[in-house]
Amino acid sequence: MENSFFANRREFLQQATWGFSGLALAHLVEQDQARAATASGGSDLRPRMGHLPARATSVIMLMQVGGPSQIDLFDPKPELQKRDGQEYSEQVETLQPGSETKKLMGSPFRFERHGNSGMEISELLPAIGSIADEICLVRSMFSDNNNHPQATRCLNTGKIFPGRPTLGSWIGYALGTENQNLPTYVVLRDPEGYNNGGTTMWENGWLPAVYRGTEIQSRGAAVLDLHPAVALPPGVQRNNLAALAKLNEERRKLYPRESELDARIRNYELAARMQTAAERVLDISGETAGMRALYGLDSPVTENFGTRCLMARRLVESGVRFIQVMVPVKSGTMAWDHHEKIKPGLEVLCPQVDHPTAGLIRDLKQRGLLDSTIVLWTGEFGRLPISQKASGRDHNRNAFSLIVAGGGFKAGHVHGRTDDFGYKSIENRVSCPDLLATILHQLGLDHDRLKYLHHGREESLTDSPVTGAKVVGELLDV
Amino acid sequence: MARTLRSKLRTDCRPWRHLLAAVVLTSWSAFASAIEPQPQFERDVWPILATRCVTCHGADEPKGGLDLRTVGSMLRGGESGPALVKSDLPASLILEKIDQREMPPKGERQLSPDDIAVLRAWIAAGARAEQPDVVPPPVSGVSDRDRRFWSFRPLQTVPVPSIKQIESRRTPIDAFLLAKLEAKGLGFSSDAQATTLVRRLYLDLVGLPPEPAEIDAYLADHDPGAYERLVDRLLASPHFGERWGRHWLDVAGYVDTIGFDTDATNVMLAEGKWRYRDWVVRALNVDKPYDRFITEQLAGDELYDWRRAERFTPEIREALVATGYLRTARDLTHEDVGVIPQNFFGIMHDTLETMGTGLLGLTLNCARCHSHKFDPIPQEDYYRLMAILTPAYNPQAWRSVIPTETKTNDRAIPDVSKIEQAAIERHNAALDAQLQTLRQQLDDLRRPHPQQLFEAALAKLPEAIRQDTKGAIEAAADKRTPVQKYLVDKFGKELTPSREAIAAELNESDKASATRLEGEIAATEAGRLKWGKIQALVDVGPPPPTHLLMRGSEESPGVEVEPGFLRVLSRCEATALAAVTAPMEGTSGRRMALARWLTERDSPASALLARVAVNRVWQQIFGRGIVPTADNFGAQGQPPTHPELLEWLSARFVEGNWRVKPLIKLMVLSTAYRQTSRRDASGAPATIDAETIDPGNELLWRMRLRRLESEVVRDSILTVSGTLNRAMGGPPVAINARPDGMVVVAKERLAHPDEAMRRSIYLVTRRAYNLSLLTVFDQPLVATNCLKRDASAVPLQSLMMLNDTFIAEAAEQLVRRVEGSAATLSLAPTSPQEAIERLFRLALARLPNAAEAATCRQLVDEQTLLCRKSGASDQLATHQALVQLCQTVLNTSEFLYAE
Repeated sequence: MENSFFANRREFLQQATWGFSGLALAHLVEQDQARAATASGGSDLRPRMGHLPARATSVIMLMQVGGPSQIDLFDPKPELQKRDGQEYSEQVETLQPGSETKKLMGSPFRFERHGNSGMEISELLPAIGSIADEICLVRSMFSDNNNHPQATRCLNTGKIFPGRPTLGSWIGYALGTENQNLPTYVVLRDPEGYNNGGTTMWENGWLPAVYRGTEIQSRGAAVLDLHPAVALPPGVQRNNLAALAKLNEERRKLYPRESELDARIRNYELAARMQTAAERVLDISGETAGMRALYGLDSPVTENFGTRCLMARRLVESGVRFIQVMVPVKSGTMAWDHHEKIKPGLEVLCPQVDHPTAGLIRDLKQRGLLDSTIVLWTGEFGRLPISQKASGRDHNRNAFSLIVAGGGFKAGHVHGRTDDFGYKSIENRVSCPDLLATILHQLGLDHDRLKYLHHGREESLTDSPVTGAKVVGELLDV
Repeated sequence: MARTLRSKLRTDCRPWRHLLAAVVLTSWSAFASAIEPQPQFERDVWPILATRCVTCHGADEPKGGLDLRTVGSMLRGGESGPALVKSDLPASLILEKIDQREMPPKGERQLSPDDIAVLRAWIAAGARAEQPDVVPPPVSGVSDRDRRFWSFRPLQTVPVPSIKQIESRRTPIDAFLLAKLEAKGLGFSSDAQATTLVRRLYLDLVGLPPEPAEIDAYLADHDPGAYERLVDRLLASPHFGERWGRHWLDVAGYVDTIGFDTDATNVMLAEGKWRYRDWVVRALNVDKPYDRFITEQLAGDELYDWRRAERFTPEIREALVATGYLRTARDLTHEDVGVIPQNFFGIMHDTLETMGTGLLGLTLNCARCHSHKFDPIPQEDYYRLMAILTPAYNPQAWRSVIPTETKTNDRAIPDVSKIEQAAIERHNAALDAQLQTLRQQLDDLRRPHPQQLFEAALAKLPEAIRQDTKGAIEAAADKRTPVQKYLVDKFGKELTPSREAIAAELNESDKASATRLEGEIAATEAGRLKWGKIQALVDVGPPPPTHLLMRGSEESPGVEVEPGFLRVLSRCEATALAAVTAPMEGTSGRRMALARWLTERDSPASALLARVAVNRVWQQIFGRGIVPTADNFGAQGQPPTHPELLEWLSARFVEGNWRVKPLIKLMVLSTAYRQTSRRDASGAPATIDAETIDPGNELLWRMRLRRLESEVVRDSILTVSGTLNRAMGGPPVAINARPDGMVVVAKERLAHPDEAMRRSIYLVTRRAYNLSLLTVFDQPLVATNCLKRDASAVPLQSLMMLNDTFIAEAAEQLVRRVEGSAATLSLAPTSPQEAIERLFRLALARLPNAAEAATCRQLVDEQTLLCRKSGASDQLATHQALVQLCQTVLNTSEFLYAE
């Protein structure tokens, strides 16, 4: 069953990927120059094309706040297992106390080979293991800082400093939205609360306000106040909105280039369209039992994360560019932050996210959407091979693993390598800005050309002259 | 001789160096000019290397074999050869590594440009050292060079610049701003329209929009002093304290709740916590000097000997309430499982973070685990500050935030003295005695009747069980046989006479006596006295030892530290240690010492305290701080856009006895503030230039357009709809998280429906689950505190303004004011045009232009038609159409902005 959004999306894709003409290219260059030259930029949400042919059009980021342990989930280390309990001889960068004895701690979990590639994944993640042939596993990530706020910023904004726009904001700014009835950047957090870092993970920074992530609820009303509290006669609100648009437009003339006012006008247009579209898109009650099971909605363990994964798929179908799904907060606002008791901690958390993650990727695949959708499952850093307080692991910025699927990323592929203990990425290292540059590339955006003039400086997501960010071609299908 | 001098340099304060710095540094440009001639290793270079380099290139296994602790070892060099060649800059590897940014490694505290300048000058001059092969004594990590960073210096005297555009200058502030504008060939925009300015001023000073009558009065006053009088009147309004108190509550990180507050449906309050909020409002209203304001919040309990006071004067009570400032951190010791050292220290870490950003614009928390990576704050300084708090947040004598199962000793203290408590108890005991007598009399009056009634009821039972039942009821409850129990269960109720039955039995005279006695009992009960609670912070027990915590962990205590302050903000090592004298028995005096250190005139600490406060006031008035990073005045913060202005204002603030109202007045009287915020105001070439030269308006060539803060949005809606309840203070108004995720005022729990219309500052404030209307307009998530509000524009705001019940109800109320009524003392409008004009004046403080009026008229016509179609009478349809217009005008962008 294809809905109309889907059909539009097809058309758009064809235009973006195959129907690329010299004329379009010229237009793009012009547009690019215009954008770079704009002082404060516009708040234009119309869809537009990037600098390059796009392979993907949407991103679902499954944000695993807290720092999942790569050693226990994705990166088996036989040498570490062998030397379990011995003192680690290398210098270790730690954050919190409790690791002074530097005692190596092997993983209590077994790893199993999966798929044609024989990708090794922990027994904790059997469902993700079962789709190994669809995913690209990067084992050589590293971050610039080993504390949560800085590292989550590094991952989402390219640098550790506060106040910068996040990846989703940049994408909205660059490409607009295909679906004019929904926000371009949607955040689905646990209805139980915010993760540590809160709204900073979807801030627009100095980009126009309209590119900030919009929180949509996955329990109760998806969108608060979507409809008038008191029913109005038909047509009344439409008239109100028409008059409002005129009044706002009249006033805005006095404030040209004030991006907030533009955003506000567009928000009313969007709000009106959301009234018809959002409910239909976000209402999952019509999904079949099979579909609900695929995402784990039939189990209290997976229902929380699964609901949001399913909503994310529906949003992608409807043309939303960027969806950020936050890890559940039940086991803490920094879910994966296992400084102590990592074994039981992982045993509780992994089942909550494993099945829904795999379900999402499978579902996208069967709908033919995985090609154009990047699914990213990542934390902000990894954890240390030595034990903390005898039962946990401290933060590790020098190595972490992530998985990325679809959108032209290699399937069934393992990239990079850490040292024998999983302490440090040593081969084909990938920085956070590298990752961001690569994602932009797949969306048809050149990270060096996607710029925004802020305080007289041309800012970019990756700031490659400083960070040295580059597109990691080895992660991509040719 | 030289050695003596050097050791003297380390212990003395060397006022001459500050003098020198002050003289040389009247220019803000390069600090290199401040370097004394003849740079010398021990004095000039060692402090740089010791704090930036020798951790790696020092005693233990120096990296690359290079030891940078002496000139000799530098000349010898390491694996890459000599690090230093005297008088040869290009050949000195150390400079090459620094210039190429290889060293110090990324992420470590870098050398500043003037550090590098010193190093270069020193090498160029021959790399002189007193003792080339002796390692100099360790340095604290804070050098006099550090103390010369712009924000760490005592306040400088800055002259008001002379400018060309004299006619644009209303206050010295304008001169400072114009000096920068003129340098770029720019000037101020024209003044805003009077109505715009009045609305702006009301919103900024009292957080409520002006009533039409207030605008008319201002417009009718043609006296040149009219504007200033309006400013004075608003500064004197009690609503000023609510508006500006809310700003400070952000800085203090105040919430009404305790604990983590992460459960939407569970709101935990501590009795009397709100009194701190009211204290802040009052303090702002009486314009308590900022030094006193801070002193009371840090050490109000050390100002008065309240422990032995006969009675608590209002001053004592206020001073104790003020220390609520130190009680805003997340305190998880509200249940037994939370009463653990990790939480004790967590509270102190959070409190220090709040104090650091709010008072000094410093990210102190970065020095918790290790010395600060960017600012000269050694880890020891952090724990010296913690030692100021430990006598109160005493880990050895912990008080829980509210009573727990095992810890009944919580932090709240009674709001009356011990003697008053005793008097109250005596008073209540006397009442109890009276009550006992009265109750006895009442009982005596009634006694015969229950027995009679009992007997009568008993008589109705079958005779066979009468005596057994009587016996069963008279038997002691725990001694009854199973049979007796059965009988009591079965007949007890009908044999117990009700109050009504007894009353009915009384004769007329007894009835009158009973009524009189009941009245007396109630009156006596009402005379019972009780005391309230103050959520204060006071010292508990003797000061415990305080240790530096290795890597920030309470499980790894390091060396013991003495209470003290930040060295970089102290004139020397000696003054960085607190000279503590206990002001009275029962308290250590440490927090008082901190308050003195912070507020002592002409000190570097008070200079920073003033700069940070002045900058925040500027941020509130002009939308952006002179230092845009209001929470960070350190190396990682943004430098001031107008350093001289900040310096001048800060000095004036301190000279003016730290009073905030005159500071605000000075700002709002300026031409800069009175400018239009519109971009195309004049259309003059200057405007076009300004757009090109300064598109971000950093130089303030126009006023900034500012979105209203969340509370002001809600309070404005209440004001224009005529429903604002202006009552001040008291316990917070309950809010309720609905299952659908919406948080609303808990109307079912209010003492009076009007409570729902209180100003937003009086609603329960939580860490995350605040009123949805406020959250959507960026009411902050409070982890510790908030130094700058966001001003986002997301579609959820539009949806809320369009569809929420609160707005719909406000529109219903607003339309009553537009239509006119006896209640609003206004007549019905004579024409639709008049109604529209009235609406614009109420909601937007101005008249509509022709196009706007036409749009509104068209809307009214269309909506009237639609409402008629759906069955409304003509009159009702017109009314409903006007309601829609009111709601639409409340939805305009203009309503949400201070133009």
